[in-house]
Amino acid sequence: MAFEFHLPDIGEGLTEATIVSWRVPVGATVGLDEPMVEVETDKAVVEIPAPRAGVVLHHGAPAGATIAVGSLLVVIGEAGEVWVSGAAATPRVSPGTQAGVAKPIVGHLEEGPTSESVSGKPRALPLVRRLAATLGVDLSTVRGSGPGGRIVRGDVEAAGRGSGPAERVRMSPTRLAIARNLTRSWQEIPHVTTFGVADPKALLSARSLLARAGGEPVPLEALLVHAVVPVLREYPEFNAAVDGDYLVLRKQLDIGIAVDTPEGLMVAVVRSADTRDVAGLSAEIVRLAAAARARTIAAADLRGATFTISNIGAVGGGYGTPIIPYGTTAILSVGRAEEKAVVRQGSVVVGMELPLSLSYDHRVIDGARGRAFLGAVITNIEGITK
Amino acid sequence: MNMARALNDALAVALAEDERVVLLGEDIGRTGGVFRVTDGLQERFGEHRVVDTPVAESGIVGAAFGMAVAGLRPVVEIQFLGFSYPAYDQIVSHVGRIRNRSNHRFTAPMVIRIPFGGGIGAAEHHSESSEAIYAHTPGIKVVAPGTPAAAKGLLLAAIEDPDPVVFLEPIRVYRAIKEEVPEGRYTFPIGVAEVVRAGSDVTLVAYGAMLRDALQAAGALEGDGVSAEVIDLRTLAPLDAATVVASAQKTGRVVAISEGHRTVGIASEIAALVQERALYSLLAPVERVTGWDTVVPLKRTERHHIPGVGRIVAAVRRTLED
Amino acid sequence: MEPVRILDFDGRLLGESPLGVEEIRRLFAAMVTARAYDHKASALQLQGRLATYAQFEGQEAVQVGGAAALRPDDWLVATYRDAAAMWMQGYPWDGLFLGRMGDERGGSPPPGVNVLPPSITVGAHMIHAVGLGWAERLRGSDRVAMTFFGDGATSEGDFHEAMNFAGVYRTPTVFVCENNGWAISMSRDRQTASETIAQKADAYGMPGVLVDGNDLLAMFAVARDAVGRARRGEGATLIEALTHRMGAHTTADDAGRYRAEETLDEWRLRDPVDRVRRHLQATEAWSEAWEHDVVSTAAAEIEAAVARAEGLAPFGPGAAFDRTYARPTTDLEAQRTALLRDLGGEG
Repeated sequence: MAFEFHLPDIGEGLTEATIVSWRVPVGATVGLDEPMVEVETDKAVVEIPAPRAGVVLHHGAPAGATIAVGSLLVVIGEAGEVWVSGAAATPRVSPGTQAGVAKPIVGHLEEGPTSESVSGKPRALPLVRRLAATLGVDLSTVRGSGPGGRIVRGDVEAAGRGSGPAERVRMSPTRLAIARNLTRSWQEIPHVTTFGVADPKALLSARSLLARAGGEPVPLEALLVHAVVPVLREYPEFNAAVDGDYLVLRKQLDIGIAVDTPEGLMVAVVRSADTRDVAGLSAEIVRLAAAARARTIAAADLRGATFTISNIGAVGGGYGTPIIPYGTTAILSVGRAEEKAVVRQGSVVVGMELPLSLSYDHRVIDGARGRAFLGAVITNIEGITK
Repeated sequence: MNMARALNDALAVALAEDERVVLLGEDIGRTGGVFRVTDGLQERFGEHRVVDTPVAESGIVGAAFGMAVAGLRPVVEIQFLGFSYPAYDQIVSHVGRIRNRSNHRFTAPMVIRIPFGGGIGAAEHHSESSEAIYAHTPGIKVVAPGTPAAAKGLLLAAIEDPDPVVFLEPIRVYRAIKEEVPEGRYTFPIGVAEVVRAGSDVTLVAYGAMLRDALQAAGALEGDGVSAEVIDLRTLAPLDAATVVASAQKTGRVVAISEGHRTVGIASEIAALVQERALYSLLAPVERVTGWDTVVPLKRTERHHIPGVGRIVAAVRRTLED
Repeated sequence: MEPVRILDFDGRLLGESPLGVEEIRRLFAAMVTARAYDHKASALQLQGRLATYAQFEGQEAVQVGGAAALRPDDWLVATYRDAAAMWMQGYPWDGLFLGRMGDERGGSPPPGVNVLPPSITVGAHMIHAVGLGWAERLRGSDRVAMTFFGDGATSEGDFHEAMNFAGVYRTPTVFVCENNGWAISMSRDRQTASETIAQKADAYGMPGVLVDGNDLLAMFAVARDAVGRARRGEGATLIEALTHRMGAHTTADDAGRYRAEETLDEWRLRDPVDRVRRHLQATEAWSEAWEHDVVSTAAAEIEAAVARAEGLAPFGPGAAFDRTYARPTTDLEAQRTALLRDLGGEG
């Protein structure tokens, strides 16, 4: 097997040498370590001995030529062997030569995973800290989005956005709970709201009739529940919940009534509303509302509504885009009945209008269905009789 | 007892318990050393174990090197750090290198004790604080105690260590600090720094004679409501980065103190590793309180060079400015 | 001062031989073997398989004769030019090659071989020999320490300190100065104003001996006396062995720039190997076949050592971190990790 020998660095950092004369011509035999070729370097003229015994098959360069350290100097093999450039064993890099460019060793003692988890203090570059100080942002309240929870510039900027002089008020547990629930509803349920209007004449006269008869004021919600319950029977997907791949059609009609309290909006639940008559509904609703406002309402009465009615008319609201309470598929918002210019039989007359807004879960309720439900509710409201 | 006596005690323990221990140095025998650290030892242990040498620092270290290779545990005294330079070749080219170049076959377990630092109004060349040169050398360990008990423990550890140790003794606190020093043999671990004063607002890192100044500065700062944590480095190489970094993460402010020259000094190393491993905890840049890049001035003006409590306190205030 | 000489240039005895015929044959074979090593190492260097190599051809008698006076457990602290002396005292060929090939295992002779890795710095190592011998004395052993150095080394401050310590403490040290007349290109007469190096011994309170370093028998005799003195606790000796370096300082050197060819011719006449051969021939204790046998056996051993040394897998990139202290420090471990990470996890 032919041995390719490359010009080594024979003198501490030489880069090239000039061939003075070949002691052994191509084709001649040379013994191990016998004088093979004379070369001249910057430092001295030296004779390089043969690294192998054998027949010289090839001279890397002729006498007089200057070659670089590392280039092929000689090929030594056996008698009769044919050497083809590139065919022999991979060139041996002798110890004196550079084996390519040395990779720069960039030492960098890495910050280990545990190295900065001490004491739970906010982690931020000094620059970011300075920014936080300028913006008046308290780093301990900022959630870091950088590696390992590090607070980066963007986090501070976001925290500081729009904050001029301000008062930071910690939200109450109730408010936080409401916020959490609404966030969930909003994030998960594709809301569509459809609007409708009902003539409240029958509703209002029914209410005053009942009030005169029972001696107690009848909350409008009681009549609304009464009107909605049959429609829910007919349109069960409005009294349902979405659970993964399943639509859970609730058998009970537990109607949630939105109650406005100082702490915020609460939904008090009238259990099995379909089993109560208007008087019963009225009494229950009155009871629940009073308890909610007094903050004595039981937790059980705030849970598990299957459909919700929100009387925003009580606080002067008209139309709206109510948010579906999480765990249900629809909510009906009822505005204040007001005098409006209405068109009746081709003429503009003064009439009463009750604005209705129905938000529903579009995953399980299509537009036509939504309109139909609302239409049915309107029909019941307009046709409500004692 | 003071540090000089504590070191004397350590040497006596070592000589008594390990017959391989031999002391060499100029004036260490009959005189007991120019700082009296070897006082009484030649009387007790004889001329063959406590050897007065000719004035030849390179020769002393070279001969001790040969002894260490042969299996003894020589403890050499070089009179002042400024006189160690003739021996620098022996230290760097041989003492620190033999294990590596013989692939562990030959080693040099020896200690080179060298008084260092200024502040005693000494003549030229006698106030050097060039310990960074030795800390930069592979294969040797560099220790610099700041208190008597630590000094004794560290010297005994150095004598026991299988690797060579350059043991720097802060001249101006040889006698200035007194404390309880345990009797008999005990060691303090080499390569371990200690938080000698806990605090929460700023970390002061110091060693040798500067430790005392750091503690004084901490006391002064406390009066102003600043809680300073003080770390006694004790070993300069290998440096206990973990202790320094943990403290930096805790306080967020670091003042690195060294009597040595500013550039490429021990304080520079502290700054480098603090920013490398505690950057996100920093509330201010790392301050370096050091000697300057000038020759140590002579007695009349050396106080402008050697850091004192005032400069340390000023540096702390700068870290609090933010 | 006249140099001690026992064999004249033609190999005739001028006095009583300190060695019997068998011993002379043994040491002659050692010189021939050493020369074979020197030639092989030079060839390897020119083939780029060794880093810079310092040839010792011409100085075989100094090294072989000097080291032959030692006991196997005595200490030897020698230079990069003293492969023959180191080998005589037990340093394996493999180690000598590995050192020159750039592997730290070359500095690690087998246990029981009390020979330090060859000193590369000039003049700093003689004091080590002083310390080694001193330690042996303190431990109650009678081992001695011999150190080889060149004429150039005597100008280094550490030479003076070593001699001074050896004189003051009467350490069992044998100082052998191989005065080959040259320190790279600086001739001996410009290295010192003293007429001889041997006479410097006087300044340190020890005997100085001038010897014809190319005379194996004289070299051995003088070394044996010095070793004996040291072992008996009588202190140190300085031997100045006059010799000649037939090659250049190293293979990176061009001796023709500073040395006349004629000098070489003169010295060739005093070649140490030739002299002993002539002596052996005269007493019919030599044959061509025998010498040929010695050379070919040596060549085979040396080739085998080259193959072993070249075949040894090099250290991985992380190895240096293990060689710095008895155990790597935390920081060194971190540095090793950083290096291996940057290299992509090799080694």
